[in-house]
Amino acid sequence: MRPDFLNGIRFTDLTWAGAGPFGTKVFSDFGAEVLKIESMSRPDPVRRGGPYKDGIQGTNRSGYFASRNTGKQSIALDLKQPEGLEIALKLIAQSDVVSNNFGPGAMERLGLTYDAVRAVKPDIIYLSMPMYGEDGPLSTLLGVGMTIAAVTGMMWMTGYGNGEKPLGPGTHYPDHAANPYHAAFAVLAALRHRRHTGRGMKIDLSQVESTGNFVGASLYEAAVHDREPEHPGNRSRGDAPHNVFRCAGNDDWCAIAVDGDGEWLALAAAIGRQDLATRPDLRKAAGRLAAMAELEAAVTAWTTQRGAAEAASVLQTAGVPAARVSSARDLVEDDAQLRARDYWQTIDHPEMGPSLFTSPPFRIDGERLELARPPLFGEHTEAVLSGLLGMSHDAIADLAERKILA
Amino acid sequence: MSEQFRPYSGIRILDLTHDLGRYATRLFADLGAEVIRIEPPGGLPDRARETDAVPGGAETFAFHNASKQSRVLDLAGNEGRAAFADLAREAQVVVMERGGPLGADDTAWLRGLNPTSVIVHVSPYGLGGPLEGAPASDLTLQAAGGIAWMTGRGEEPPLRLPGGQAAMITSVYTGVATAMCLMDAELRGRGHILDVSAQEAIAHSLQNAIQVWDLERRISHRAGEGTRDASENIYECIDGHVFLASPPTTGVSWKSLLGWMRECGHPSVEAFSAPEWMDRKARSTPAARAAFKPLFEAFTRGFTKDELVENALKRRIVMSQVSKVHEVLGDKQLAYRDYFVTLGEGGPRFPGAPYKMSEPVWRVSPPPALGQHDQRS
Repeated sequence: MRPDFLNGIRFTDLTWAGAGPFGTKVFSDFGAEVLKIESMSRPDPVRRGGPYKDGIQGTNRSGYFASRNTGKQSIALDLKQPEGLEIALKLIAQSDVVSNNFGPGAMERLGLTYDAVRAVKPDIIYLSMPMYGEDGPLSTLLGVGMTIAAVTGMMWMTGYGNGEKPLGPGTHYPDHAANPYHAAFAVLAALRHRRHTGRGMKIDLSQVESTGNFVGASLYEAAVHDREPEHPGNRSRGDAPHNVFRCAGNDDWCAIAVDGDGEWLALAAAIGRQDLATRPDLRKAAGRLAAMAELEAAVTAWTTQRGAAEAASVLQTAGVPAARVSSARDLVEDDAQLRARDYWQTIDHPEMGPSLFTSPPFRIDGERLELARPPLFGEHTEAVLSGLLGMSHDAIADLAERKILA
Repeated sequence: MSEQFRPYSGIRILDLTHDLGRYATRLFADLGAEVIRIEPPGGLPDRARETDAVPGGAETFAFHNASKQSRVLDLAGNEGRAAFADLAREAQVVVMERGGPLGADDTAWLRGLNPTSVIVHVSPYGLGGPLEGAPASDLTLQAAGGIAWMTGRGEEPPLRLPGGQAAMITSVYTGVATAMCLMDAELRGRGHILDVSAQEAIAHSLQNAIQVWDLERRISHRAGEGTRDASENIYECIDGHVFLASPPTTGVSWKSLLGWMRECGHPSVEAFSAPEWMDRKARSTPAARAAFKPLFEAFTRGFTKDELVENALKRRIVMSQVSKVHEVLGDKQLAYRDYFVTLGEGGPRFPGAPYKMSEPVWRVSPPPALGQHDQRS
């Protein structure tokens, strides 16, 4: 399905890099008209970041950009020139949402404060998502996704446990879940609020405050007990064995997570260790936690005799939570569940050719949302300026000539 | 004075989630929806799982169930189902989760009760497919979704993210997709059935790993070879750790960092001035990473976190403190912005809104006791 749920909603979208565009993408995927304003005077960093089709760099060849911008329209516009700003304000005057993820002060410098925008569109929904908030002693600290993990405690807690030094997530994790989707949820809420009250809203999403909720239970535990929460890594505070185990292949791993006496008995039987299943000291979780090293060795002796996919399948059938630790290649090439649910979409692209995309991670009424391809740089400039703003071909050509549409 | 309109005022959500979907319904509850946990006589499974007896159990329960109501209905019996049906006729949204009191078999019944509602199924692997019923947990879902692969040390096992991230990721996607469907239901009178897979949600949040494989046939690996700049790492200082990300391509950060080290007369600056440290490719090798760490740590060890962050601010270097969890509670920026709230009067600090809205429409209240909102005759 190509959903029309958001038909009639228009974004003037100034977001760039990772978190911002990922949050507005869900609107274009659901049928909103998302006008992505971009300029080669300061290109979207992910257009300049790989991977590229066949490893060859190019403005329209980045897979990172493609995956964050499906279904959007690209308007080439240099906002630092007065006529560029004027056009942006005309687009905003006909938009429902204006979105940015710049640092504090950037929208002021562009002349696009909430007040300036409200002057042309009184009921606008104005989304800002700076890293640490718009004001305050650390608001101007520069950062990336990992910085957000660092200051929220998420980096500290990500490790193998046992009081080891922190490792942190291997990705800029807050950019890829917490911040884009909190932002999207807030905009949807503001749209409903506007329908009922006629009033727009300003949404000030500090990416640190948003990500703080992703470790919210740990923050609350620290506050209630005035202590640092334990971070057990792959292990569990409640039961054992519960870890990632080496399997027969090269860099091949299986996650196994026993939680409860029934799952323990099922695991012991599946790995052929009836002797452990009958041991009285292992009947309850406390006893299993006390014997963790012994139990992990028993499981490892079994997993190292087979591949991770086989190990996971045997254990799943036996009723034990288990899964191969999948790499991106495993997911794309060799995951029967994702394949059965039609998770992958291949979309043709004028410069990249047929390229792979993840579907939004749900089905609606039994169907997948069909994605529309990401835009080439400036692909929709002329169509939007003439169609929406009624500008003449000559006027547009003149602006292009003077590098305002570049 | 009439009750102020909040974004989800007038929306009733019947909530049968107990793990992966709970934060999704909380997002609605904090913005004005009437979210009612419909619990069997003994409570939904999270009540037994997350108790005071388990470290962090009660706090996890509170975090995921704040602002909600609780009613006890035995859906195995006719009386309970009749009471549920009365509620469902007036509910715009019903959210189910695998392992809860209702499942996919009940979809037709729910649709019959309310043709324009949004019916949500949250499950580890989605509806259908060979793993539809496979047992799962936070660890195994982070494995199956591909995110565990990307974290950890190269020679050691892949590592999950902390704090139940499978549920957090699944819930934010569920919340957004539910809100999208609800908008269509309200505006156009079209009911929807939404089927969310936790595995797919995680696989949708892998940075650019899928594209790296598709376009360049490389596998993004937890060791970070070929993708992460040598500087992107955690460094010890006098009173803890800082995180630095300073590739020469990002703004003035690298130049400014070297300038500062030179001002301090630190010997590492000589090594960093060699031409290979300006070469993006050379900087993304394991050897560069291994060489970078001791050189830079020799510098950071002379400073406290506050001193390092103060200079990062002043000199526009991408560097921040690495906070322990309890240190986040004392973060001066969060304090300045009044981030933390409390559940009710007084009490310990609780994470504040994930977004500040210009009207005071977000608020949080304590999680409900089992059956706290039962209608007593």
